[in-house]
Amino acid sequence: MSARIARPTPPNRRKILTGFRAVVSLAVGLAFLFPLYIAFVTSLDTAGQVFVFPPHLVPSFDFSSYVRVWQMARWAMYYGNTLFITLTTIIIALATSILSGYALSFLQFKGRNAVFMMFLLVLMVPAEALLIPNYVILHEMNLLNTRWAQILPYGASVFGVFLLRQFFLGLPKSYWEAAKMDGASHLRFLWSVAVPLAKPVLFTISLFIFIGSWNSFQWPLIVTTSHSVQPVEVEVSRLMLAHSVDWRRLSAAGIMTTMPLVVLFLFLQRHIIRGISRGEGLQE
Amino acid sequence: MQQNPAVSVPVKKPHEPQRRSDWKQAVLLLLPMIAFVLVFTYLPAGMSLVLGLFHYHLLGVHTTFAGFTNFKDALTYPIFWIALKNTLIYAVYMVPLTIAGAIGVALLIDHKSRYYAMLRTFVLLPYITPVIATAIGWLWMFNPQYGIFNVVLHWLHLPQSQWLQSPRMAMPSVALYTLWHGLGFNVVIVLSALSSIPKHVQEAASIDGATGWTRFRRITLPLLSPTVFFLLIVTTIGTLQAFSQIYALSGGTGGPAYATTTLLLLIYQTAFQDFHFSYAASMAMLLVLLILLLTLVQNWLSKRWVFYQ
Repeated sequence: MSARIARPTPPNRRKILTGFRAVVSLAVGLAFLFPLYIAFVTSLDTAGQVFVFPPHLVPSFDFSSYVRVWQMARWAMYYGNTLFITLTTIIIALATSILSGYALSFLQFKGRNAVFMMFLLVLMVPAEALLIPNYVILHEMNLLNTRWAQILPYGASVFGVFLLRQFFLGLPKSYWEAAKMDGASHLRFLWSVAVPLAKPVLFTISLFIFIGSWNSFQWPLIVTTSHSVQPVEVEVSRLMLAHSVDWRRLSAAGIMTTMPLVVLFLFLQRHIIRGISRGEGLQE
Repeated sequence: MQQNPAVSVPVKKPHEPQRRSDWKQAVLLLLPMIAFVLVFTYLPAGMSLVLGLFHYHLLGVHTTFAGFTNFKDALTYPIFWIALKNTLIYAVYMVPLTIAGAIGVALLIDHKSRYYAMLRTFVLLPYITPVIATAIGWLWMFNPQYGIFNVVLHWLHLPQSQWLQSPRMAMPSVALYTLWHGLGFNVVIVLSALSSIPKHVQEAASIDGATGWTRFRRITLPLLSPTVFFLLIVTTIGTLQAFSQIYALSGGTGGPAYATTTLLLLIYQTAFQDFHFSYAASMAMLLVLLILLLTLVQNWLSKRWVFYQ
């Protein structure tokens, strides 16, 4: 009986296989890039180029659509709202997670694990169960149709607490003992020793809150009606419904709002990949 | 050791006084987080359980007890069943496609070189883009007359499709967009799991004569199974929650002919366009039950196929 033995692949065949893999991979990679590229090309088309058959793939670099779309809406205001909502969410979520992450690692008290469990249980609550009740709560708080309605529900980041607690637990207890000798309080130690050491973790948390908050659409759509408090994404959706055949300008609007994130991604890719591998990207 | 009582300070029990002082500080430090969690998760979670049992109105009208009438209305509303069917069918092909696609792409680009790192960048890039903004490009690609999809089909002499405007193809078109947007996330997770599989196991099997497929089937896949299980749970939940891309690609309507009306879109329309909060809340509860049920079933089934080292 002859066993099946994998013979070493002859060098020629291996070369072909390697090349084949490289080509197929490239095709897959480009397929993911292509939809962004075609929006980019369309946004730079001249007026006569859009409804042409067959479509073309070389941009004409006519920036008039961008100029026109910039005049079509009060972008500065919408970008301002998005920026305000995103940054405030980051600040609040970082503050709540730093404080509680520290309490759950450096302080000794009864019920520490119970509190941590109470935070982790939040992850088990399905988001769609909260849509309507949270709307009602914000209504009762008189916060509907404000920027705060888009910030406060995201003020607690369980992943933030989880990561910071983990990080603080890994710090040597002797740091705190030494600080205590010098007469430092917990808050002082937290602010001048623990937080600076935790900077990389804080950065990762902020990055994912940034992406989630910048891209959020459903919640702002639900809780706001006046344009003056709405983020960019909601305005883009409104343009999309109102000008559904103006592909050049719509594409320009799409590219305009996608670009900041693409740039961010290209610079911070490493952090994003590491974050996703650890499961942090789930908090959206 | 005996101490002279005259000079002895009261001996501290090692932890107790410290614990008491920590307790106060702990409350202070934990308070903000607890407040947020209580107000925006625990309170609404509790409300969601009862909201469906009342007739709640935002303005003026008194809230009255409704019993199960909202649930009964939902279950006898034909659109609810269409939405449920759409949601389930979507999940039935979307979840396996996502997981198989992620494993396939991950295996393809799992190679340490700049070239493959660049391709990984391309695959992950859509994941961080805003849905509404990138859906615009896709709407254009799906355009029946000038869109790239039909142009390519035309070149290949294949029958063209109405894509988002066809009741049959609308949901698969949404799936295509969703795969494009979200696959990278799954690919990165599979890549990270692949990198933790020790190389020597593969090499040993290779020396023992295992072919590529056998190695994948007998070594890689079992070692990946906890990751696959994680992706299964996460993708199922994500798929049942699909909203933004459907809103964008169907122009907020869930059309054509309710073809893209999923449960969450129906809940959104019922609550925030028609302002039937309690009615929508009862539908949301049914959706939550569905998710819970599917998660439990998957968890139970996982004992048969997930392999933990």
